[in-house]
Amino acid sequence: MNEQAQLLPGTLDLLILKAVSLGPLHGYGVLLRIEQITRGALLAEQGALYPALHRLEHQGLLDTEWGTSDNNRRAKFYRLTAAGRRRLRDETESWNRLSTAIRSALSAKPQEG
Amino acid sequence: MFARLRSLWGTFRHRSEFERDLDSEMQSHIENRADDLARSGGLPRSEALRRARIEFGCAEAHQDRVRESRGVNWFEDLAQDLRFGARMLRKSPGFTAAAILTLALGIGPNTAIFTVIDAVLLRPLPYANPQQLVTWHGNESELDIDDIQAQSRSFFSAGGGVNPEVLTYTGGAEPLGIHAGYVDAGLFRALDVPPMLGRELSPDDDRFGGPRVVVLSYPFWREYLDGDPNIVGKTIPLDDNRYTVIGVMPASFVVPQYSLDVFVSLRVVYPEAARYRGVHFMKSYWRLKPGVTLAQAAAGMATIDARMAKDYPGEEKGRHSVPVPLQQSVTGDVRPALLLLFAAVCVVLLIACANFAGLLMARSVSRQREMTIRAALGGGRRRLVRQALTESTLLAVLGGAVALPLASLCLRLLIAAKPAALAHLNKISMDPSVVVFGLVVSLLTGVVFGLAPAWNVSRADVTDTLKQEARTLTGGPAGHNFRKALVVVEIALALVLLAGTGLLIKSFARLRWVDPGFDPARVIAINVQLPVTRYAEIPKQIQFRRALLDRLNSLPRTQAAMVGDVPLNGSEVTHSLGFDGRPPVAEGDEPEVDSFCVMGDYFRLMRIPLRTGRTFTPEDREDHPLVAVINEALARKFYAGQNPIGQRIHWARETGPPRWMTIIGIVGDVKQYSLAEPAYPAVFTPFAQTNEAWRRWMSVVVRMPDSSGSMIPAIKGEIWTLDSQIPLNRIQSMEELLGLSLAERQFNTALLGLFAALAVILVAVGIYGVISYSVSQRTHEIGIRIAVGARRIDVLKLVIGQGLRMAIVGTAAGILGAVALTRLMTKLLFGVTPNDPATFSAVVLLMLAVVLLACLLPARRAMRVDPVIALRHE
Repeated sequence: MNEQAQLLPGTLDLLILKAVSLGPLHGYGVLLRIEQITRGALLAEQGALYPALHRLEHQGLLDTEWGTSDNNRRAKFYRLTAAGRRRLRDETESWNRLSTAIRSALSAKPQEG
Repeated sequence: MFARLRSLWGTFRHRSEFERDLDSEMQSHIENRADDLARSGGLPRSEALRRARIEFGCAEAHQDRVRESRGVNWFEDLAQDLRFGARMLRKSPGFTAAAILTLALGIGPNTAIFTVIDAVLLRPLPYANPQQLVTWHGNESELDIDDIQAQSRSFFSAGGGVNPEVLTYTGGAEPLGIHAGYVDAGLFRALDVPPMLGRELSPDDDRFGGPRVVVLSYPFWREYLDGDPNIVGKTIPLDDNRYTVIGVMPASFVVPQYSLDVFVSLRVVYPEAARYRGVHFMKSYWRLKPGVTLAQAAAGMATIDARMAKDYPGEEKGRHSVPVPLQQSVTGDVRPALLLLFAAVCVVLLIACANFAGLLMARSVSRQREMTIRAALGGGRRRLVRQALTESTLLAVLGGAVALPLASLCLRLLIAAKPAALAHLNKISMDPSVVVFGLVVSLLTGVVFGLAPAWNVSRADVTDTLKQEARTLTGGPAGHNFRKALVVVEIALALVLLAGTGLLIKSFARLRWVDPGFDPARVIAINVQLPVTRYAEIPKQIQFRRALLDRLNSLPRTQAAMVGDVPLNGSEVTHSLGFDGRPPVAEGDEPEVDSFCVMGDYFRLMRIPLRTGRTFTPEDREDHPLVAVINEALARKFYAGQNPIGQRIHWARETGPPRWMTIIGIVGDVKQYSLAEPAYPAVFTPFAQTNEAWRRWMSVVVRMPDSSGSMIPAIKGEIWTLDSQIPLNRIQSMEELLGLSLAERQFNTALLGLFAALAVILVAVGIYGVISYSVSQRTHEIGIRIAVGARRIDVLKLVIGQGLRMAIVGTAAGILGAVALTRLMTKLLFGVTPNDPATFSAVVLLMLAVVLLACLLPARRAMRVDPVIALRHE
């Protein structure tokens, strides 16, 4: 459990968008997909996912549709919209810039003169 | 943005569906998870479900955050606030009723008065480009109008005149005296309202010897010609001639200040008058050319005035034509009164708002503990303020809802009691903008006055307040002081209103006691106009007049006489006077006096006292020496220190050798114009001796045996045996005329009195609220005082002293305000100075009495405080 990192604020949205970009998912599926693509490194409280999903839908980044899950249960599926795809691209770019910057900052060594 | 709105809208439209979906979405999540747990961990189904639920967390909280993320909560909160507010209001009906009533009383009359002001002062007149229309004080002759038209082409595009006259219409069952406008073609061009049927008078109609044509007003056409759509081209009988109808004006058309039935060309119907420069009897209206300013027109008119005064000194010396906008001229008479009423209503509204604020304040203080607990339980500060604001706005809207029917009631009362000056306002109704005005006022009141108490609530410090005892939760001295300040302001405002009302009431009383100079009891005046076609010559007129009086005086217990214009009927003849044996006066500088012809024993009938000399006898006939009776005003002004009896006077403007009239008597002054105006110098002469054939109108005055009017048919019958074509529809009792002359003041006084009463009631409620609140907060303290030996009287002094302090500060401020403001209403006063000390003292006493009365109830409660109970209450 302590190997799982806390989510940085704002990163949940990005992860959801990424997860859904790989194919339509229901809420639980999003959770599994995030677990899978982060190799279990990141985990959120399960219910906390829903306010984020609804917020993204409200912003027009996700589309919803009722369907049937693998376990043959009725479930609400989320799909990325065109706006969502644009947002994912922008956010990914800015995330990459940020993480590169942070990494290089953190890997700096004292200069030997 | 659109996506969000659509999404929000969708959420609301399918609210229950959304909630169901959210539920089942989360439910399906938990089930799916449980499936996985059961499969991978080999757990029993029930255990898997339990684990899944724990992992999911509090579904309620998540759902709430979902709603929040979709913006549902804002509306949700509002609905909740409204429900809660409504519940709170229901729970304290006394407070709710007081608040709603206070607002309704403030806003309702306000909306009604605003409606009238809107209709009278703000709404444009029903003409094309009404801002271009001007007129001036003083009348013109037709020749003057022709000259001005010719000389004003650079600044007036059109202009013309109108003189209201009575014509006989004999097309109905009875001969009818109708109101005809003797006009010129220029008037129609200036007012510029297209006719509804046919055409208006053209310059081709408006010439000497032109065709006898008539333009009808809409009401006349509807009422007397059954709205005949094919009327144009037909003829109607007017004054023994047939006039061809050439047009009908639309219902909206009025000639300013007059209500007229038909329009005929002055040059056609009365050519003698149109040819005479000295007959200044036409009110004229002019249209400014586009781009010309009032100042330019005034400069132009000054030049024309000067030129005319030089060319015709005898007739035009006194010219002073200052163009004023027509709107201003039309509303000039009612404007001060309406503005006064509006000010009064604003004062009442302010007082109502202050009361409302005070009520909210007291309530917020008594609810502070509740609010504090809510804050302690996690109620957001903004949310609490919003709750308070929602409640006050809800109250304001309810107040507005009650105010609107009240406004329409007030409006109906106003119109029913409208004075003559507002007579042209038949179509006042509440239009949407006025309703909006009322609603905005009520909403603003709720928001603005709800804000202070709401802020007060949000300031409450949670821990501090909860630590304190309920007794000390008074909102601090600051809150109570604010309420006291509000009441002081209310008292000051009400005092100003009371002072104004007191002055009007005193004026009215003074006016009522003014002696009109005659006794109106059981006297009627029949206004008769002899048609020029049958009564052009003086002998014919005299013959008719004598026969008429003989017949009426032969009726049992009936006396009759006649005069040119009976007092207060709004018309009169003035002449320039010349004196025998005095140095001649330059032409145009002679004094103007009222000139009345009489026949019969007019002075005795009207009980106008004879001061010296004698009145007319039947011997003062056409072939006997010319005689005149003057009034005291003339004697005072022109014969100070002399005996006028036996002196000779003449009409200065007559052509030919002077017709000297010998003064034979002096009679008492009569209020000819209005009770508020002093009597003007007047000369009375016998009808039998006049050489002015145009004096074809008269008021036949009859003192009847009783005031039932049962004699009137007999009187009409007698006159119609003499001439069946004489219209007798214009009959008024002198008491009616006297009442009419007071009606407008009565209306203003009554209305202002009503508002002042309203203000006083509201103030009393406000004081009562503050004092009784303070008594209830100080019960404990009063209990201690009584326990340590204070007597009942001391408690009474304590409570009343508190009220009196507010009253003294308030009345002092109010007097200062009144001294400054009542000066503005000087025009509306009669026989009272605007700072009349007696009136001011009276209203101050009244105010203090009201304050004492309002304090008495809470004081009684304070005196009955039982120290044992009050202290145990702790």
